[in-house]
Amino acid sequence: MPVFKTPFNGYSVKFSPFYESQLAVATSQNFGILGNGRVHVLQLNPTITEIISFDTADGVYDLCWSESHDSLLIAAVADGSLKIYDLSLPPTSNPIRSLHEHAREAHGVDFNTVRKDSFLSASWDDTVKLWTVDRPTSVRTFKEHAYCVYSAAWNPRHADIFASASGDCTARIWDVREPGSTMILPAHEFEILSCDWNKYDDCIIATASVDKSIKVWDVRNYRVPVAVLNGHGYAVRKVKFSPHRMSVIASCSYDMTVCLWDYMVEDALIGRYDHHTEFAVGVDMSVLVEGLLASTGWDELVYVWQHGMDPRAP
Amino acid sequence: MAMRELVTGGAACAVPGSSGSSNPLGALTNALIGSSSKTQERLREIPTATTTTTNSNLFAGSEEPFAALPGAELEHPLQPHAQGSEFLQGFRSADQNRFADAWHEIQRPQIPHSLGRDSMTNIPLEQGRLQPSLDGPPQRVLSSFLHSFVHSSHGGLPFHPTSLPVLGLSEGDKQCIRDRSSIMARHFFADKSEDFINSQVNALLSSLEIDNDIRSRGPMPGRFPELEEYWNESQGMKPGPYATDGWVTEFSQRQIERNDPNAWVQSFERQHGANGWATEFEHEQSQLASLDQMRGANISSLAAMEHTRKLAHTLAQNNDPKFQNSKFLQFVSKMSRGEITIEDNQIKQATFSAPGDWAAEYQQQYNGGQTWADQFVNEQRSQEPHGWANEFASEREIHGSVDGEWVNEFSKLHVNDWAEEFEHQVAEGVLGDSSGDNWANAYDEYLNEQVALQQKSESSRGVYVFSDMNPYVGHPNPLKEGQELFRKGLLSEAVLALEAEVLKNHDNAEGWRLLGIAHAENDDDQQAIAAMMRAQEVDPTNLEVLLALGVSHTNELEQAAALKYLYSWLRHHPKYGTITSAEQPDNLYYADVARLFNDAAKVSPDDADVHIVLGVLYNLSREYDKAIDAFQTALKLKPRDYSLWNKLGATQANSVHSADAILAYQQALDLKPNYVRAWANMGISYANQGMYEDSIRYYVRALSMNPKADNAWQYLRISLSCASRNDMLEACDSRNLDFLQKEFPL
Repeated sequence: MPVFKTPFNGYSVKFSPFYESQLAVATSQNFGILGNGRVHVLQLNPTITEIISFDTADGVYDLCWSESHDSLLIAAVADGSLKIYDLSLPPTSNPIRSLHEHAREAHGVDFNTVRKDSFLSASWDDTVKLWTVDRPTSVRTFKEHAYCVYSAAWNPRHADIFASASGDCTARIWDVREPGSTMILPAHEFEILSCDWNKYDDCIIATASVDKSIKVWDVRNYRVPVAVLNGHGYAVRKVKFSPHRMSVIASCSYDMTVCLWDYMVEDALIGRYDHHTEFAVGVDMSVLVEGLLASTGWDELVYVWQHGMDPRAP
Repeated sequence: MAMRELVTGGAACAVPGSSGSSNPLGALTNALIGSSSKTQERLREIPTATTTTTNSNLFAGSEEPFAALPGAELEHPLQPHAQGSEFLQGFRSADQNRFADAWHEIQRPQIPHSLGRDSMTNIPLEQGRLQPSLDGPPQRVLSSFLHSFVHSSHGGLPFHPTSLPVLGLSEGDKQCIRDRSSIMARHFFADKSEDFINSQVNALLSSLEIDNDIRSRGPMPGRFPELEEYWNESQGMKPGPYATDGWVTEFSQRQIERNDPNAWVQSFERQHGANGWATEFEHEQSQLASLDQMRGANISSLAAMEHTRKLAHTLAQNNDPKFQNSKFLQFVSKMSRGEITIEDNQIKQATFSAPGDWAAEYQQQYNGGQTWADQFVNEQRSQEPHGWANEFASEREIHGSVDGEWVNEFSKLHVNDWAEEFEHQVAEGVLGDSSGDNWANAYDEYLNEQVALQQKSESSRGVYVFSDMNPYVGHPNPLKEGQELFRKGLLSEAVLALEAEVLKNHDNAEGWRLLGIAHAENDDDQQAIAAMMRAQEVDPTNLEVLLALGVSHTNELEQAAALKYLYSWLRHHPKYGTITSAEQPDNLYYADVARLFNDAAKVSPDDADVHIVLGVLYNLSREYDKAIDAFQTALKLKPRDYSLWNKLGATQANSVHSADAILAYQQALDLKPNYVRAWANMGISYANQGMYEDSIRYYVRALSMNPKADNAWQYLRISLSCASRNDMLEACDSRNLDFLQKEFPL
């Protein structure tokens, strides 16, 4: 299975929603604590080669692909800015836009898959901001969280609903048409680093926390979690629902592993990959190829592999 | 998509506003390319105070200038080199295969990193252009050092400070290292105690010679109770009472010197006995009292103001971050500038610690003492300081009697069943939606009335207040933008766009009208009325405007105004104009208006608006059964009007059909799940039925959606008391929603 070496520590990896062989990786020097950043766009053929890369003056913590335009990429940069890159233009003409409103590190971006014209950014300045690609300023700022917001995720079916995960130990559900959050989910006793919506049941949300667990919630009844997934040995950094199987979740953790879960069965842990030698901080599942996984970590490596195979197998 | 539909998995999940808003590809590209060149222009304006490069702007993402090489580095080339190669060797031996391959990649020239948006001297990174063969610049040292910091999390080993060569970190870099390592350390070291985490971070920072006392991102609130306690203590208590007490002492001395009878509190005490409320009041709220005195002093004595300025200055000198963030400090500095705006709420929050019994509750909510003090101060303000003492003496006579009354009233209420008394008052003085059959309701109605009265006296009614910052000013077509935003449900944004429109075109009735509607939907009746009144000035016969004004004034319990607009609506309506007399009568009587609307309903029984107005009118006259009938008729015509369901529910609750009301509210919530008002009303209905525990859950739910709903906080407090959950009062007073949600899940 192919591997790609990045010069900096990997932070996030995302498959293109348009081309099954394209993926993008966000990286930061010095673990994102201090230094530059770089966005790589990679091609699987079947080894991994770089198509283009973009440098930034601060670490890149996350990125997402545009859902409306196959060559647009949005990066969340540690200096608080969001940079929009157009792959069809040379690096000298990029970024085509730099949106600088967040007062602190931008830690997550997510593109709306329903409306396809807007995206969210989550920041350590405790806010989430709503943007459209054609506007120079944010459309709205959602400020309720009491501590860093690590990620924000659009509901896959409803264009106006999204969830946010924060270090204030809550996840919040928002409707962009409403002035405040719709629901506050005190999901964990510790910081929540990531959240994602089920792609088949729009009421199900998963949260990943520093408490090492992933919890699956039904927003119609948030008193008790639908499932609690234990198995990671350290903070769970990202959680992602499968685009193909309703009950499958992928996660990566500071315990350096990537895990696959089926939250509906009793022995939920259905796969564990310990190919990374440093914190595994980025994981994604291809929408276009079922079972194709990608991960990146602070060992500066990007792996792409088919579920069930060994990522390190040559 | 509304949450409720999402929650119920409702079928009608069409995407509003999605079709028109997506850009054609060409337009998008144009927009992007256009903006890109704009960005470049803007960037070129940024001074590039660097000598190393002239083409930084050509490089992608290089808004920040290239870093100059700090001279200090060049003077100590040996040590870094030694350390760097050592690190490099270790690095290579650790990662034999993969890293060797990749190594040359790392050597690729990189753009120098530049952190703090203003910093010009950063760590020299690869320095590719200047010294292409380097492998031991400070960057390596730093990198390996951070590496060992991160690695210390694997085994949970303590991370020891080491001495490092001079790295030439800029302030911005230090800030980044400090903040990011503190935040990240809390992820790595999740198992460890806060002390351990702090010592790890401190070891890192001290090795890098970074002060940890500059404000950094500390632990999140709520996770470590003892820390939070300490924080609260240092925030509120430590600077607060200490400073104010000191101030008060000094102030009293000054006042005594000047023979200023500012000792009115004491004199009042004397008048009403040592056990009077004033003692209690003053004792329990030394801060409040002193602040009030401060306020009085600020007006009467320039010397005192000077003193506050000094105090603010002294406090500002303190480097303690907690001090810098202290609300008290901000308060004092505002005071020193003469911008005293002591709002009841703030002081209430800051000083009361929930004694839990009803007398105290009453005192707190009513805030009688403070009102009294404010009034007193206001009186003083209107009469300039000359002869202050004499004025005071005479004023005090008047106030003495007024306050005596107040105290009597209070004690009477306290001794007798004050709730009953309250109800009585409400029934007499205020025509509310509430029948007053429930004292809690009545009590709150009365409170709201008080607040409303206060607001009215403070700011003149009907003046539209524009937002300070409006990004839509200068927008080519703000009306269209506003309509679009309104359609999408982005109410606050729509308000801004529409404000920009009416600022541009003062006489755009449609702009004003939509602005009013946006405000009404955003639950701001005051602004809604102000906007609608402007719309009506421009277009006096617009039916929608008249109806909206009538309903809004009814909501604000202004019967006369409501009747006027509702009558105008009838008069200008093409269908019902004939029912009314040609001239608008000077005095409208409720019964007449109600009769006219009944006639209108007979003329066209299928007009839901007429039935809605009738329902509202019957609420004013407390004919709840008729009101319920009217709303139910309207609902047959407009079954999906959520606010109508809410109106029905409120009417049923008022007419002691609280159980029915819950069904109506549920209908409203099914149609609009984010309808905070309906959630709160649901709580009221449960409270009316004595199901306080249930009511609490609904209030908490409402508040979780809109924590700014002040009324709901008051309702919640009452229900907590009634349910004997005094243990939760503190959480309520501190508005600790997370805690309350855990305790009272719905």
